Amino acid sequence: MSLLPGAVAGSRLAADEQADGRAAHNRRRLVRRDLGFATMTVPALVSFFFFTIGPLIAVFYVSFTDWQGILSRPKLVGWKNYAKVFSDPTFWGAGQVTAIQVLVLVPVLTVLSFMLGYFVSLKPRFGGLLKVILFIPALISLPVKSMFFIAILAPTGILNGLLTSVGLGDWTTAWLANPQTALAWVILVDLWQGIGFNAVLFSARLGAIDPETFAAAELDGAGHWQRMWLIAYPISKSYFGVMAMLQFLWTLFGSAATILLLTNGGPDRATTTWSFLLYYKAFLSYQIGYSQAVGVVLIAVGLAGMAVILRLFRQDY
Amino acid sequence: MSAISPARRLRLPWYTYALAWTYAALLVLPLWFVLASSFKSNLEIFTHPLALPASLDLENFFEAWDRTEMGSAMINSFIVVGGSLLLTLLLAVPAAYGLARMRTKAGVVTERIFSSGMLVPGFAALVPTVLLAIALGLFHTRTFLILYFPATALPLTVLLLTQFMRTVPVELEESALLDGARRWQILRHIFLPVVTPGVATVTILNFLAFWNEYIFSMLLLGSDARVRTIQVAIPVLTSLTQTDYGILMAACFLAMLPTLLIYAVLQRRLEDALLQGAVKG
Repeated sequence: MSLLPGAVAGSRLAADEQADGRAAHNRRRLVRRDLGFATMTVPALVSFFFFTIGPLIAVFYVSFTDWQGILSRPKLVGWKNYAKVFSDPTFWGAGQVTAIQVLVLVPVLTVLSFMLGYFVSLKPRFGGLLKVILFIPALISLPVKSMFFIAILAPTGILNGLLTSVGLGDWTTAWLANPQTALAWVILVDLWQGIGFNAVLFSARLGAIDPETFAAAELDGAGHWQRMWLIAYPISKSYFGVMAMLQFLWTLFGSAATILLLTNGGPDRATTTWSFLLYYKAFLSYQIGYSQAVGVVLIAVGLAGMAVILRLFRQDY
Repeated sequence: MSAISPARRLRLPWYTYALAWTYAALLVLPLWFVLASSFKSNLEIFTHPLALPASLDLENFFEAWDRTEMGSAMINSFIVVGGSLLLTLLLAVPAAYGLARMRTKAGVVTERIFSSGMLVPGFAALVPTVLLAIALGLFHTRTFLILYFPATALPLTVLLLTQFMRTVPVELEESALLDGARRWQILRHIFLPVVTPGVATVTILNFLAFWNEYIFSMLLLGSDARVRTIQVAIPVLTSLTQTDYGILMAACFLAMLPTLLIYAVLQRRLEDALLQGAVKG
């Protein structure tokens, strides 16, 4: 704490300079030592950049090209693809589907997982067995999951079979081919798979809360509902935000694969999300430039959404 | 985990049990449905979807095996998954060791690169990845997947392994160095025992991710039965007009078998792995 830094610098002693020299020497040695260790990370970094960051950057480049089909040559066309994308009703339709999917799935999934996680964290009876079951969806691959939902939801599938057998034959429909129900089922399938594993994660986080915190609340007569939302939730708010954010990114970018297998984007584009549109334009209608312009929109929306979610769930103490 | 004494435990109302177990039933039922349907005909599936099968005829399994050419699909899956797991470790173990021992800012920066890498959604780069495979002349080959999968798994793998490596005290390592041990000897005798559980954790995580991966495998391998993996082979059994659900479910069951077996044998370890993997993310 000096008011006159210049004076202090001027009165430097020789010993200090010597110490500085030693520090610089140590620093050089440290850098040389680190250089050896750094080279060990090079192969991993090269692989990571070459196969994941490189292609990600290429999305931007390709979005400015006219590229008709995977095997043809690209031609730079400036903003033409973006003009096409933004004036295309299909793009805006898909935006609407994406918005519904994200706005329904992310809040519902995160809240239900949190509640189930709270339940599991209290070690209910048979909680161990419950946890084993909750892990199951994390083990099932996307094609297998999609295939058994196809079997369940097909016109002659078990859902219609069950409805018929309890006298609700009028309700039967081709669930995935009906524009009224297809998107709902795409969302439900993700819910089915997502709640279990997210709940286990929440229970691990909530299990780390000091029981004394809850005990004090109980003396004040707080029930489970209050404990859950007035104590457990504020304590784990930022964790809640991270879970919501991951689910958001996952849904926004990754929904194409499930949709491809369940509905192929139909019926009549009822389940065509931006993610599926990207896939469809690149591989089924050979407009790669258009597809990657959608990709850039997805990346922008993803970043913006991430920022909003993290902001909303900032720990406020 | 907290230990709430039973005396202090607030009783959970019955309907919370009812809701939780209803969801649990919804998770288990499809598994039962897959298994039971594997032994049934379409008609039997439709009329008695959840009943025990009338006979334990294995015909659907044989039929599924033939129609998807599952023998070669399984072999392809094992080649791709095994090769990717091996390459991941070859890249990640030295990187994690280096990262754990770096003390300058460069180490912090490198670690940050990997941790932000975990937020990169692979799907965003789907199209350029396919273009890359074509440019390298590796389109429709298993080789490309074996090179590509490790890159996607590296961020998490390196970060988890680094944490394990950090538990080895620097002093222990340095005293060994003074005693004239070589670096690789240190890696083998001091690090390997500590790091083995970490390697097991990441290998389980990566096995699940690689074995279950679908969309990149489907696009990069194509439909050629000689190279396609099991996840790519299964959807071949659906058709718009006449899907034989018994056969389809038998194929699903066979594709799930390796992961279910691993879960049965390594339940605790696999649960821990999934938790650690997700908490880092």
